[in-house]
Amino acid sequence: MSRIELDGVSHRYPEAPSETFAELELVIGSGEAHALLGSSGAGKTTLLNLLSGIEQPTTGRITFDGRDVSRTPPRARNVAQVFQFPVLYESLSVAENLEFPLKTRGVRAAERRRRAKAMAERLGIAELMGRRPGKLSLFERQLVAIGRALVRPELSLVLLDEPLTAVEPSIKWQLRRELKAVQQEIGATMIYVTHDQTEALTFADRISLLHRGRILQTGSARTLFSAPAHEQVGHFIGSPGMNLVPGEIAEGALRLGGRVVAPAAGAEPGPCTIGFRPEWASVAPSGPDGSGLLGTITAARVLGVRRGVPVGILSVDLGVGVVQVRQALSASPGERVGVNVDAGQVVAFREGWRLPGIGAETGRGAGS
Amino acid sequence: MSGRRPDNRAWLGVLPVVLVVAFSAVIPLMTVVNYSLQDIFDQHTRLFVGFDWYREILRDPRFLEALLRQLAFSGAVLLIEVPLGVMVARSLPRSGWLAPALVVLIALPLLVPWNVVGTIWQIFARPDIGLLGAALTGLGFEFNYTSSPVDAWITLLLMDVWHWTSLVALLAYAGLASIQEAHYQAAEIDGAGRWQVFRLVELPRLRPVLTIAVLLRLMDSFMIYTEPFVLTGGGPGNATTFLSQYLTSMAVGQFDLGPAAAFSVLYFLVTLLMCWLFYTSVIRKEDE
Repeated sequence: MSRIELDGVSHRYPEAPSETFAELELVIGSGEAHALLGSSGAGKTTLLNLLSGIEQPTTGRITFDGRDVSRTPPRARNVAQVFQFPVLYESLSVAENLEFPLKTRGVRAAERRRRAKAMAERLGIAELMGRRPGKLSLFERQLVAIGRALVRPELSLVLLDEPLTAVEPSIKWQLRRELKAVQQEIGATMIYVTHDQTEALTFADRISLLHRGRILQTGSARTLFSAPAHEQVGHFIGSPGMNLVPGEIAEGALRLGGRVVAPAAGAEPGPCTIGFRPEWASVAPSGPDGSGLLGTITAARVLGVRRGVPVGILSVDLGVGVVQVRQALSASPGERVGVNVDAGQVVAFREGWRLPGIGAETGRGAGS
Repeated sequence: MSGRRPDNRAWLGVLPVVLVVAFSAVIPLMTVVNYSLQDIFDQHTRLFVGFDWYREILRDPRFLEALLRQLAFSGAVLLIEVPLGVMVARSLPRSGWLAPALVVLIALPLLVPWNVVGTIWQIFARPDIGLLGAALTGLGFEFNYTSSPVDAWITLLLMDVWHWTSLVALLAYAGLASIQEAHYQAAEIDGAGRWQVFRLVELPRLRPVLTIAVLLRLMDSFMIYTEPFVLTGGGPGNATTFLSQYLTSMAVGQFDLGPAAAFSVLYFLVTLLMCWLFYTSVIRKEDE
């Protein structure tokens, strides 16, 4: 396992009009489970290819434990990769597949067999050793692919490129738990690429959110949830995502449609975007209290029942935009209601980035 | 199926195919079988001779020589064209504007009719006016396919390689195109060498298309007629007289219908046997 550092890494495909990445900075600790989260086209796979060595950075440095590997080919980087779909050697048996990366590195036959067997037992595929990949289910094949990636001793880095895309939803959870357990057991540094926030949140110690070739924020799931550094982080993390409505800072307060939402003593006056999670607001059916906002319920979506009361998501039109509130469904569409937002949690953005001094502390942001 | 009476009307649906196959293959073939068992003098005078013609053909040294020549030619064609075709396919670019352009260029020889191919090479290799032949002569080589059996064979093989390697290359190219980039990346990360990439990543995917390629080339080369007919006429001597050539001279040249029919049946059986042997060996290996 290694400590991975990206230092001012830029990448541009030949003949591409613009860079895939510019000046990327990222540090991943030794033995860390790190998730790269982002929608398709964010540059996740390219970043993974830079780490594995399939692509090379146009400028900047990638180091493993301080050793510069920017120009090192994949085979010399001591990395392993699991792809979106099971990539196996079809003409070799499961056992031969597991042993293959050891064989190419000159590990002796007895040692190869021992390691392959141990890995197969760890993943519960020991009884498949003599079979060919063609006869296995997709899930079993992906397990073999994972086993082949992890079988090598003293790996610098394990890269997982949406490894559960091809797997049935019902089995995803099982495979994810298996992966996480193996990761903790062997203590490998792992990077997990996904567009699924649930996967990222359950697998990773820390998450980097990628958006259009930039890392908007790196942090724990909790940080990304409560203190997003950028509008897109708020929007992407959480289900549903953060409510984003236009507002302004004036006379030392964050205001929405003229009403004060939160104090904002240090912030520069001017227009901004107000962000609050559906969990940070509540609807008062009786009407607004002193500082609350006024709106009309436009939709109610039931997600479940708690103590006999239906709970879910209420959509409220505030005039400047529709927001969503997660709570008991105590009001029905068409009703005029008040919306109270927790002033201690609400955040504000200007030009996409978070304004300091309002809401929870961001912690270590990136890219700003 | 379960609990229902089998409905035999479905056979009616097969009838058109049965009719077409009967008239295009079975009936002509049975006519040949019929001829091969009789001595035919004229329309009304014929004599049943049993397997006499077969015995005669199998004892004919010219038949056996032609058969050996045929096996050697098909073997050489396969040994050259299959590896060469795979090499060509591997060196073709997978994307970019050059890829379709090169594929079209490579496919061109396949569009040339057999007798034209023969004519092209007949002129191309002529030692007096042909580009290849004259160039070789100019360089001091003694090259003459009309007098030297070796030169005739070289010219024939070159011609067949030129004409048909494209077929193998195109089939292999299609096979290679079905391999996703991730397979190559995984092999690179695993530290596989070039030979291992070919053997473990590419060859398993090429297997089905190469099976087809070998079968097509085997059958086709085994039935080769037009090109040697145009190029050498079977000579010098009988050096390039293959089975079909000898058969034609027997059936059309001398009107020995009985022996020619027996020859045809044997020819057909040998071709069938070889394809069957090849195919079953491939299939059995796959099932292992």
